[in-house]
Amino acid sequence: MPIEITMPRLSDTMERGTVIKWNVKEGDAVAVGDVLADIETDKATMELESFDAGTVARIAIAEGEPIGVGQLIMVLAEEGESLDDADAATTSDPAATPDDSQDAEAEPAPGEASDSPTARTPATPPHTPERVFASPLARKFAHDHGIDLVQVRGTGPSGRIVNKDVEAVLTRSAGSTSPVAPAAPEPSPAAEAVAAAVSTAAPTPEPSRAPPGRLEARTVPLSNMRAIIARRLIESKTGIPHYQVTAVANVGNLLELRAQLNEQLASQGVKLTVNDFLVRACALAMHQHPYVNSRWADGGGQPAIEILAQVNIGIAIALPEERGGGLVVATLKDADRMGLRQISSETRRLALKAREKGLTIDEMQDSTFTISNLGMFGVSHFTAIINPPNVCILAVGAATEQPIVSQGQLAVGSLMSMTMSSDHRVVDGAMAAKYLQTVTQLLESPATLLV
Amino acid sequence: MTTTTLDIPAPDFTAPLPPRDGDRVIQFRQALREAMSEEMRRDHRVFLLGEEVAHYHGAYKISEGMLEEFGDKRIIDTPISESGFAGLGIGAAMYGLRPIVEFMSWSFSLVAADQILNNAPKMLYMSGGQWGCPIVFRGNDGAGGQLGPTHSWCVEGLFANVPGLKMVIPSNPYDAKGLLKAAIRDPDPVFFLENERLLADRAHVPEQEYYIPFGTAARLREGDACTLVSFGRPVHFCLEACDELAADGIDCDLLDMRTIRPLDIDSIIQSLAKTNRIVVVDQSWPFSSIASEVVTQVCEKGFDHLDHPPVRVNTEDVPTPYAANLEAAYLPNPGRIVSAVKETLR
Repeated sequence: MPIEITMPRLSDTMERGTVIKWNVKEGDAVAVGDVLADIETDKATMELESFDAGTVARIAIAEGEPIGVGQLIMVLAEEGESLDDADAATTSDPAATPDDSQDAEAEPAPGEASDSPTARTPATPPHTPERVFASPLARKFAHDHGIDLVQVRGTGPSGRIVNKDVEAVLTRSAGSTSPVAPAAPEPSPAAEAVAAAVSTAAPTPEPSRAPPGRLEARTVPLSNMRAIIARRLIESKTGIPHYQVTAVANVGNLLELRAQLNEQLASQGVKLTVNDFLVRACALAMHQHPYVNSRWADGGGQPAIEILAQVNIGIAIALPEERGGGLVVATLKDADRMGLRQISSETRRLALKAREKGLTIDEMQDSTFTISNLGMFGVSHFTAIINPPNVCILAVGAATEQPIVSQGQLAVGSLMSMTMSSDHRVVDGAMAAKYLQTVTQLLESPATLLV
Repeated sequence: MTTTTLDIPAPDFTAPLPPRDGDRVIQFRQALREAMSEEMRRDHRVFLLGEEVAHYHGAYKISEGMLEEFGDKRIIDTPISESGFAGLGIGAAMYGLRPIVEFMSWSFSLVAADQILNNAPKMLYMSGGQWGCPIVFRGNDGAGGQLGPTHSWCVEGLFANVPGLKMVIPSNPYDAKGLLKAAIRDPDPVFFLENERLLADRAHVPEQEYYIPFGTAARLREGDACTLVSFGRPVHFCLEACDELAADGIDCDLLDMRTIRPLDIDSIIQSLAKTNRIVVVDQSWPFSSIASEVVTQVCEKGFDHLDHPPVRVNTEDVPTPYAANLEAAYLPNPGRIVSAVKETLR
């Protein structure tokens, strides 16, 4: 029997993939583990390894042609089978091959891939792209301007990155410099601490390329990431009944404790941020509010709410403009089982990696709750759009010194506003409020976060 | 001992070239004749030999009237024996004369390959600098129009491979005259490749004497969309293609190389730095062609300027067809050049 190989689902949000490079051609012998193709998903470029030995009978799609998950991309002839037979046996309209016609042996079931690394998805761990096709000029131009080609979407022949693609990225980052760079009030120490851990969009203004006082009209093609952000957030904002609940935590004690710990642990290289406490608080609170840590499952006409066992906190990380901007969500897996110190080091590692090399799919997927923190820009509060399949997202503002009235006495305290957007299909207003109450209590009694 | 090779005065290449525009319009063949006659009047050592060059005035009437002016000691009819008269010319050059050897067609030079490739270009080297070989071989190169596979040779791909020789492939009367005069004054063997299909072309050629230095390309069109590199007859196809492309708003930088050895790679890279894409148009076969060499040097010296792989437009990789329609399809033509340029802009 010929072996049909279809576009695998390489991440839980992947719907389409593109073979950006075939590493085999028709007639080639293939052994188990050979890399058949480089596949670009919505998040990264990954190698597709063969689970079977055989000979390539047919390559069904061209490089650079996006195709849906589950659709036929190539046919392998088994040993002793003639290429023509294998080809003929599978030449039925490849585009019409639905998911469920896959050879169950040869392909992972959709959704399974992300949960079980041993599933028959690529056997090697996912990794960031290794081979980027770009013209020599585009490479040099990108290098001269410090742009990582991984961030650039190629529009040349076969998806090759040509110079205008790099220029588009540069124009975009130059164009968005001034609105991002705040002539803002000095962020509070707490906000700075958060920024140190989380922000990769350090607002260092670049000199503007345009003459002062004059804007330039232009059209900027979408990068892959921008196109995905656009699509997924429209789906989220229009498909999920959002509402927001805001709570304000007095983080004075937390800041004090943090300062104390950081002083004592400085020699060990530990530098806790407010965000680390927040991650811990949000993760621990899930044990009392499991619906916040769930997902809406359509279940083929029989919707259900799936309460999740793992608490994976996603942290929104803005990418630096010189890398094309955009944002990614890094995931801290089993965050409820991590101590502050571990949360801190893992967050720092992921933020740095996102900024410098890009995250792997594994590092970005499976979040169950997301935190977006813009405190470093001095914002008092904002609302965020839910990051599907999460049902809640927490938008965190800066901790700022403010007057506090307590028992008729006026005092100065540090307040931090948190606004949670929730999916009303799953989490009702009171549920959101109670969750935020728990988080607030944890933040206001920070010692509990140490145990 | 030395030959007179070493005492040949070099022309003054620093003098500014006269304008290309004017009303002294003559044919390409006449420009060649003027170049030879002027140099023969200037230097009594210069002489012309070849089949039918004297009494018949040249198979293509290039030497018309020269026998009358210079006599049969300097305008010499030869038997049909290219190896013989090419060798005679080489010997004469080694002993201090300045021969111009006309091949009726470069296709016929193949029987003289040992003389022109093995002796002429290597003499200076093999004699340790004692004997140079200041000789000009000239004649028609390329498909002349239904001459069939054996008489339609483009020899540039084959011959330019040999170190020690220089190669000139002019595309117009003005360049032809200035380059041929420079070739006759050059101390090395110069392979001067004309084209039967260009001999009747007419253009202004200045009265005033001028020499065009080797290794300098002429920019015939200016643009920043794509660099077009060509030489000889296909330059005219490129000009047509440029006009067609310009109508679409695509302005190409067209470089007429004029000499292949030396090759003005600097001008090519300079243009490439502006356009970031290049199409090389060459009337010889693609494999190991001049176009291949240009593309190689572009990759070596201009890699970082490339935003698209270099593209070649050569003749098709088959023997030259006899049938007129097939021959036309076999040659580079404006349509193929337009497509190639557009490919680089995809």
